[in-house]
Order: sequence, then structure tokens, then C-alpha cells
Amino acid sequence: MQQTKSKQQPQTAATVPAAPAPTIAVRKSCNPDGIGLSHYVLMDKKAAK
Amino acid sequence: MTAAILSRGGAAPVFIPVDIGHAVYAAVTDPNTAFWALVDKTRIEEEIAAGPLLDSYRAKADSFARELHALRFELKPSGVYLNPTERCNLDCTYCYLPGEQRSNGSHMPPEMLTASLGKLRDYFRSVMPEGRKPRAIFHGAEPLMNREAVFAAIDEFSADFVFGLQTNGTLLDDAALEFLTSRNVSIGLSLDGPFAGITDATRKTWGGKSVHDKVLAAMEKLKGYGSWSVITTCTTENLPYLTRMVELFHASEVPTCMLNTVRCTLPGARGVKPTDGDMAKAFFATMDRTHELYRETGRKLMVANFANILIGILAPTARRLMCDISPCGGGRAFFALAADGGLYPCSEFIGLPRFNGGNLLAEGGVEAALASAAFKTVTTRDVDTFSPCSDCAIRHFCGSPCPAEAHEMNGGMEKTGAFCEFYKEQVNYALRLIADGKANDYLWDGWDEDTETVFNHALN
Repeated sequence: MQQTKSKQQPQTAATVPAAPAPTIAVRKSCNPDGIGLSHYVLMDKKAAK
Repeated sequence: MTAAILSRGGAAPVFIPVDIGHAVYAAVTDPNTAFWALVDKTRIEEEIAAGPLLDSYRAKADSFARELHALRFELKPSGVYLNPTERCNLDCTYCYLPGEQRSNGSHMPPEMLTASLGKLRDYFRSVMPEGRKPRAIFHGAEPLMNREAVFAAIDEFSADFVFGLQTNGTLLDDAALEFLTSRNVSIGLSLDGPFAGITDATRKTWGGKSVHDKVLAAMEKLKGYGSWSVITTCTTENLPYLTRMVELFHASEVPTCMLNTVRCTLPGARGVKPTDGDMAKAFFATMDRTHELYRETGRKLMVANFANILIGILAPTARRLMCDISPCGGGRAFFALAADGGLYPCSEFIGLPRFNGGNLLAEGGVEAALASAAFKTVTTRDVDTFSPCSDCAIRHFCGSPCPAEAHEMNGGMEKTGAFCEFYKEQVNYALRLIADGKANDYLWDGWDEDTETVFNHALN
């Protein structure tokens, strides 16, 4: 398993479920139109003042 | 689809397990298609070997491979970053533009800006679907140093582009605000600290004067405007204050911010680069704080760069920022126009002459630049082809930003950028939020309204 170097989140001993936790796997799709970069994010979803 | 993609997609999908640091869940991914699932940590071996998850995924793997390939290699540009001047009234420690340009550079003449936008309009019309406007974002240097030309261009081309402006905020007087907000121009500001002493450490005038209060005043006046944001560049100077930064933004009703790792393209930035571990610790504490603020008030402060990571996982094609995909958006989803008319894959390259792809107003214009060796160097940077990214389970949630940084700081396009370990941890943090059912708390409302669910294991 690929490992990471940082500390894990605090865990409690009581969180181990009796039955396996349900698998989560979701993917959504749309036509791509992203053009943002780290210098700027375009927020054009809301109306003007 | 290329033969290379077919050969990857045609092989039986193989899941790679990833420890995300969660109490219950681990991730399994197929990095070739940016597919992921969260499975019970005690059942990793069973999920990888066989079963309904693998069966469901196998039925979709080819379509996911095609989707990712189209996102990575088949986009046409739909945005341009315009530098209407080389000059800036600030001398920020980490700027990616050379100091000589910013202090003594030239403005783009108004008639040249008009001619440039005319040529850009014609180009975008030739590649974009009818009815969809390209985005044109003025930034810099400081675009309001050449305000008259910028405002005239916005009015002349209002029917042709969706405009944005990234500014340091110091020249944003009442008249400028009225002009921009009345035309629904998206406005981005920059602020690096919750109080002047921190902001001043990296952002100040050439004479060393503070601009903190001027930016706060601009933020106050933008309250209630729907389309504005603030960028904080995370450095050694402000990392201990990042939580207070988002408290300030939330109290100021900033709708969206970005908390960006400093881009280490030029040497000045590397002097304030935090370690990956320090960056991760401060960033995740700050994201936790934004969630607390949301729970306390019911109002979200969007951290767009992190939201984009989440969206890149949940809906790869819905991402808005194109730094976290490989090849990045530079030179393919957008490009940059320098004040001298030069075309570059991204503004991050404007200080690096070898990445000049030609002049917009010369014969060939945009098409010649897109086909130039300078642009191809960037647009062919592919994390599938170089180590350590090629073996990384989350390489298409990260993209190994940024090519300019990798080239200048680490010695080549086939190198990682400055924050490899941080980016891995950021994906793990995002996957933990998905496991805990909290992801939507970090995303703007309605983020997926234009998307279709193409895989949901619970429904398969």
C-alpha cells in the first residue's frame, strides 16, 4: 500500500465496525471548461452587485 | 484514443491501495483513469482481487480512460491571461516576473491591446462552440497601472469575452470599483496576512510601504458583490497565521479565496518556501477552521484551490483550475499574452524567454504559438512518463504542478514541482473528507448541477 509521511488523524478504539464499512465510489462527468490557474480563479456563477 | 492509452485501458484494470490515514477506510485507485474507491481497510485484498467493485469498474474503465484522455490532450483554449503592462507598484518577494520588468517595464499601448483582443476574439471564435464566450483575465504585474487601456478594452469587447481582473487592490478606487462591478467583471485581490506586519513581510511597495490597509478597504467595498475572491500565497512568513487569515476572510464575507503554495519559479520565492510538512500541517488546520466557521454560521468560505482538488477526484472534468492536471492547462486550456505581445503557455513563464511561442500580432498568431516548440515543451509534460509520478497512485488528482517551477527549481520538465509530499497529503485529506461524508461542505452549492453521475458503486 502506498504510504504517506504525515501523522494520521486521531483515532478512537471504538470506531472499528462489526460489519465491513460500505464501499464508496462515485464519479461525475461533464463537458470540461476549466481555465483557472493558481494566480486567479474565475467566479462567474453569481450575479453582479 | 492513442495506442498508448489503448494499451493501458485494454489491460485488465489493477487497483493500487493507498493509506489515506483514515480510521476505517483506505483508498484503491486505478491511476490510469483517475478512478478511486474507498474500501474498508480490513478488506483491501478482497476488493483488489475480485468482486462487485472490480466488476463494475471494469465495465466503465474504457470510458473513463477516454474521458481522461480528452481532458488531458484534446482541449482547445478557451481563456487568455492578459498582461497589459510589465509594471507593478509592488515588489513582492515571490513574484514570478523579473524585478527589472516590474520596476522599469512598459505598458501595452491602448491600440495594441485593442488589436490584440480583436485577434484573440477571432481565434476563439474559430475554436469555441457558438454561444460560449472565452474568458479574458487581466493580471500582471499590476493591470491597473494601465487602467485607461484596460477599461477601454473591457467596454469595447464586452460582447466577446467574460472578463476578470486580478489586482493587488492598491489602485482599486471607487471609480474603478464602480466600473468593474457594473460590468460584472470578476475581481481577484491578493492579501498575505491577517494584519499588516504579516502582509508586509512579502507584499509591499518598492519603497517598503505597507499596502495591507488598502487591500482591506477594497475588500470592505466588495462585500456583497457576487464575483470576487482573494488569493493568499502561503510562505514561511504567514504559515503560522493561516487560520487567522480565513477567520478574517470569513468575517469580511469573502466568498472565495485561494491559499496557494508559493510558486518557486524564480529564486526569490524559494527563500520563503515552507517545508511540505509545515505546509500540510498549517493548511489542514486552516481547512478544518473553515469547516468550523461554516458549521457555526451556515456560510461557506470557499477555498478554491482545495475545492478544485476535491472536484478533480469527484468529477475530473468539472475542475475549474487547470494546474492540478497533467499536462497542465498552460498552452492548451489557456495561454498568456505578455505586454510586448509575446505569447506564453502561462504567465508563470513570462520571465523565461525560452518559453516565448511568438508574437500574437505576427503572422501565425495563436496557432503558431500553440504549435511552437516553446509551447510543446510544456504541453507534452506528462506525469505518466517520468518518475516518481509515473508510479504514483494519485498522479491525476495532483498533476505535479507546476512545470515552470519544476523546470526552474528542480532542473527539468520531467521533475516534480516544489511540493510533492504536500500534494499527496492534500489528496489524502480530501479522500478522508469524502469518507466522512463532508466533501460537499467544502464545495460551492450547486457545484455539480451541470454534471452527470457516471459511477456510483452503491447503485450498481
